[in-house]
Amino acid sequence: MTPADATLHIDDISISFGGLKAVQAFSLAIPKGGLYGLIGPNGAGKTTVFNLLTGVYPLKTGRIHLDGRRIDGLKPHRIAEAGMARTFQNIRLFGELTVLDNVRLGCHVRGKHSLSATLIRTPHHVGQERAITSRSLELLAIFGLDDRADVQARNLPYGDQRRVEIARALATEPTVLLLDEPAAGMNSQEKLRLREMIRSIRQQFGLTILLIEHDMGVVMDVCEQITVLDYGLTIAVGTPAEIQSNKAVIEAYLGTPSELPDGASV
Amino acid sequence: MTPLPAASLDLRPSWGEIALRGGLPILVSLALPFLLHFVVGPALGPYPTKLLVDVGIAIILAVSLNIVNGFTGQFSIGHAGFMAIGAYTAASVTYYGSMLIWETAERQAGFLPAGEWLLCGGCLVGGAVAAVFGYLVGLPSLRLRGDYLAIVTLGFGEIIRVLLQQTNSQLFSSDEIREAGRRELFPPPLGGALGFSDIPKYGTLFWVFTFAVLTIWVSYRLKVSAAGRAYLSIREDEVAARSIGIDITKYKVRAFVIAAFLAGIAGGLYAHSGVILSPKDAGFQRSFDVVIMVVLGGMGSISGTTLAAIILTLLPELLRDLQQYRLIIYALVLIVMMIVRPQGLFGVHEIWEFFGHKRLGTRRGGRT
Repeated sequence: MTPADATLHIDDISISFGGLKAVQAFSLAIPKGGLYGLIGPNGAGKTTVFNLLTGVYPLKTGRIHLDGRRIDGLKPHRIAEAGMARTFQNIRLFGELTVLDNVRLGCHVRGKHSLSATLIRTPHHVGQERAITSRSLELLAIFGLDDRADVQARNLPYGDQRRVEIARALATEPTVLLLDEPAAGMNSQEKLRLREMIRSIRQQFGLTILLIEHDMGVVMDVCEQITVLDYGLTIAVGTPAEIQSNKAVIEAYLGTPSELPDGASV
Repeated sequence: MTPLPAASLDLRPSWGEIALRGGLPILVSLALPFLLHFVVGPALGPYPTKLLVDVGIAIILAVSLNIVNGFTGQFSIGHAGFMAIGAYTAASVTYYGSMLIWETAERQAGFLPAGEWLLCGGCLVGGAVAAVFGYLVGLPSLRLRGDYLAIVTLGFGEIIRVLLQQTNSQLFSSDEIREAGRRELFPPPLGGALGFSDIPKYGTLFWVFTFAVLTIWVSYRLKVSAAGRAYLSIREDEVAARSIGIDITKYKVRAFVIAAFLAGIAGGLYAHSGVILSPKDAGFQRSFDVVIMVVLGGMGSISGTTLAAIILTLLPELLRDLQQYRLIIYALVLIVMMIVRPQGLFGVHEIWEFFGHKRLGTRRGGRT
């Protein structure tokens, strides 16, 4: 796939921290509407890939295209503006602010906010604030959280916080959504609902999704294509069925028999 | 969903509605300076009037610092530096301006004489100069946080203090001013360590509270708008703020610039309230007084910092005999506050939110 065909086109990106090669020569192309997975043992570099994509770490080598437009080297807020949204492994909501304000902040990037318009409260400014509020409430309604709009975000139960974070990400009107372990800390009931939710928001918002997840039930069920990372290297790429039977992947997760101490048996 | 700009167009109110809903309350609040100037001030006498002037100036300082320390969560303790810049700039404008125009720096009688408009202009120029310095101090805030930024801002205040000490002696007659050459004018004749005196006393209740009302108004409109949410998001979590497209560089620097501008205006008013300006005014002590107001009132609460500014300005007067223990009391109050209520009296909330009124900013639908 060329950068023009893929919605998200990652070409040969790498980063090292000191001597640690956290991500090496990572490439991936996701077509429009694709739902791809990124898995690997702890410390494999999955979240680092997300941080490179969103500009948290500046990229030294490699290229990233979003909708045919090169986004590496841009500042994080420009990348968000270009249509990349993410959630965080350890939820990062604005805890002191209300649920509604969290989502309204997501809308910020699509608006115009000049200082003079804010102070004068021009008709455009007021109209925009109203549009932001009604849009945020709509989004919260999709996640069944509209009745919690005035609650401080940190006072929500864990599962609701995850959903608010996704609502906030969707408020930025992204083309690509990066989900970092959305199922972490959820019980099996919630995980089932999460699968449905991921599918339905992809449909409803026309999203292209890249998903980091440790829960194999979720990954194998929703993803069309999976990339496996280990020690920063891509060790396998394929459909869920191919990945499940891939020898290198099993070794990365479970180790090889030769690694067992002498005399030990499995 | 329709794109946001289009949706905004549909929900746009008319200018008439804007004027009625936004303009009217401001006009009403601007009646306060008139009330204080013509009714309250004369009724109370000169000394309480001076106290009220101090209160008004403290409100401007505290509410403006709250934009940086409260909304944006940066820890600045150099606010007196900005104030001193505004004070010296405004004082130069009115003092030397009056000397050149009217040959004297005496206060002109009456309500709003020409000299007081010179003060108004001087305050705005002072604010603008302070804002330039606010920009320069705001830049390191992009890389430093917490204690390190506090050290930079503290150092800034001290630099201003030392620079002011090195200025030339003041010129006391219009002839002197006209004949002054490069040696007298550079560094500028601001009185050096002796201080800047004979500044016309234009810092009336009217001007002080006009600017105080405007400061509160600016601060409030910032808080309950998209910009205010952006400031608060930076305070809460910079990484998350960036990930949703908030330009934290822009908002941090802007917070410093706005706060410095308002502090510069407060300085201009202070310079004209019947004091001799001295380099000490840029010092740490004064900055700290303002920080305490913000911390006690609640980081982010405009009404809380306003209340704290009023109380902390009047308290030393009420406890006259305890004057020399003021700092000890301050320290004790701060320690107790940090233990009992670390978020300040009102936290990020406004006073009325504690009486069952929803914050205007979070009100559903309707007007925001």
